[in-house]
Amino acid sequence: MKRYTKERLWDALVSCIAIFLGLIIVFPVIYCILGAFKTPAEFASPVLLPKSFAYLENFRNALHQAPLLRYMVNSFITAFAGSFIRLAMAVCAAFALTHYDFRGKKLCFFFLLGTMMMPGDTLLMANYATVSRLGLLNSYLGMIIVSFVSASQMFLLRQKFLSFPKALRHAAMLDGCGDLRYLLTILLPLCRGTLTTLFVQSFLSLWNAYLWPLMVTASAPDMRTIMVGITKLNSWEDTNYELVLAGVTISLIPSFVLFALMRRNLNKDNTDGSLNG
Amino acid sequence: MKLNAKQQKNLKILGFLAPILIFSILFVYYPFCRNLINSLYAVSDKGELLRFVGLDNFRSVFSRRDFRQFFANTLLLTAINVPVTLFLTILLGRLAMKKRRLSPVYETMFALPMSISMSAAAMIFKSMFSPTLGCVNAWLGLKLGWFESRDTALYTCVILTVWMGIGFDYLLFQSAFRGIPREILEAADLDGTGFFTRLFKIELPLISPTVFYVLCTNAVLALMTSGPMILITQGGPSRSTGTLMYMMYASGFGSSNYSLAAVVSLVAFCLTFGLTLLSFLFERKKVFYQ
Repeated sequence: MKRYTKERLWDALVSCIAIFLGLIIVFPVIYCILGAFKTPAEFASPVLLPKSFAYLENFRNALHQAPLLRYMVNSFITAFAGSFIRLAMAVCAAFALTHYDFRGKKLCFFFLLGTMMMPGDTLLMANYATVSRLGLLNSYLGMIIVSFVSASQMFLLRQKFLSFPKALRHAAMLDGCGDLRYLLTILLPLCRGTLTTLFVQSFLSLWNAYLWPLMVTASAPDMRTIMVGITKLNSWEDTNYELVLAGVTISLIPSFVLFALMRRNLNKDNTDGSLNG
Repeated sequence: MKLNAKQQKNLKILGFLAPILIFSILFVYYPFCRNLINSLYAVSDKGELLRFVGLDNFRSVFSRRDFRQFFANTLLLTAINVPVTLFLTILLGRLAMKKRRLSPVYETMFALPMSISMSAAAMIFKSMFSPTLGCVNAWLGLKLGWFESRDTALYTCVILTVWMGIGFDYLLFQSAFRGIPREILEAADLDGTGFFTRLFKIELPLISPTVFYVLCTNAVLALMTSGPMILITQGGPSRSTGTLMYMMYASGFGSSNYSLAAVVSLVAFCLTFGLTLLSFLFERKKVFYQ
């Protein structure tokens, strides 16, 4: 009995410490949201809370100064199409590598894994040259074309596919189910959890991408993504932080939704693999 | 002509694998080779090869003062970032190991930074650390120009990059701690093992593959840092925050010096290659242990 109360006290203490640390970690986000509601005078004073949350001038100005909603749409289109194509390619590759035997299978597998050895950032300049030669600058396709290949997704899906018994496929084949139909109607529905996790993860990473969209859309302000757009709200001479923070707050809303989706998925199928995408 | 079964099968395999293979050649292997070639040639500002110059590009880049400074900055940033991130995320992962009633609350808070983009975070930190309007100076009673003075700028960038990395690494450690077999921990409890002995002699050795994995992936990420520099400091003040990747971006995209950009990116690649290989190894082990 005594030991039990001691443990409960200990748990309460640890929870308090954890929440305190958690508050420090999320502080920048809180600061950003609160700052977005402040008047310039309030922002100059060190008080954390704004007087009222009805002061929406910053949001209005931010939306007025740059077409943030248009940028959101750009971000959404590129993130959605990019994640979809990436996942589709990974699924096809993983299926071929697990369900067929052919010469050079090992080679293909390691060839794809080899792409993970090269950090994407080191290839940016060379890829920029390629994309500009293909005439894809300032286009949606140009913004996503370099992120189609994901060896880690392919690898995870391969593991997942291998975990299904061979008998499943034999049974489907006996029923006259072709390869493509087997993939689309049997295998993929069974992997729904993994697929959702991978899709949300890659959507979030494309949504949050900064450097590549910045380079590709440099000469077409209309094509900017939201994450590039919010950085153009401030200039060095005239830093209107409330305005910038309002723009950032707007851009964070979809990020939070994705984050919530991702956490729900991770809790649902807490497999080791889904964390390593 | 009717295809026989074998040809049909091969055609299917080709259909499944061709897209990903083509794109990995076009946007991973080709640019890598292109970097190799560009680094050995004089390249025009339109990206055409002018003439073969051998290792001259490397020689001229290595003798540049700014390159040496940026190289040193990159290593310094990594040397601070990696241990700090490891310490923090192991601490957070261990705190969150046991499931408690408030777990969902603090787990969400710990993981939140992973959903924030570099550009949003940079904007927020820039305003927090602003010398006149920021809350950090106001609350600490300081007048530091965090991002503006050459003594503090790099360290302020490290604060930002550490913050960015916390969420994901913490999740890895949390699941590693939770993956430790229960029997082992119960045995330790029965033996009356103290908390720190238990942590250092039992738990950390058991999750060591995760520790090394996070160490390697984190070092790779830190060596690739360019966001805070592009967004906030422009490599300044007086080159104190420039990194290799910032230099590649600035020389290639800013001034169209493609051979310089190629050399810098090859140097960065060599720095990370070993680490990436090692992280693969540890990832295998990690899966094996659990």
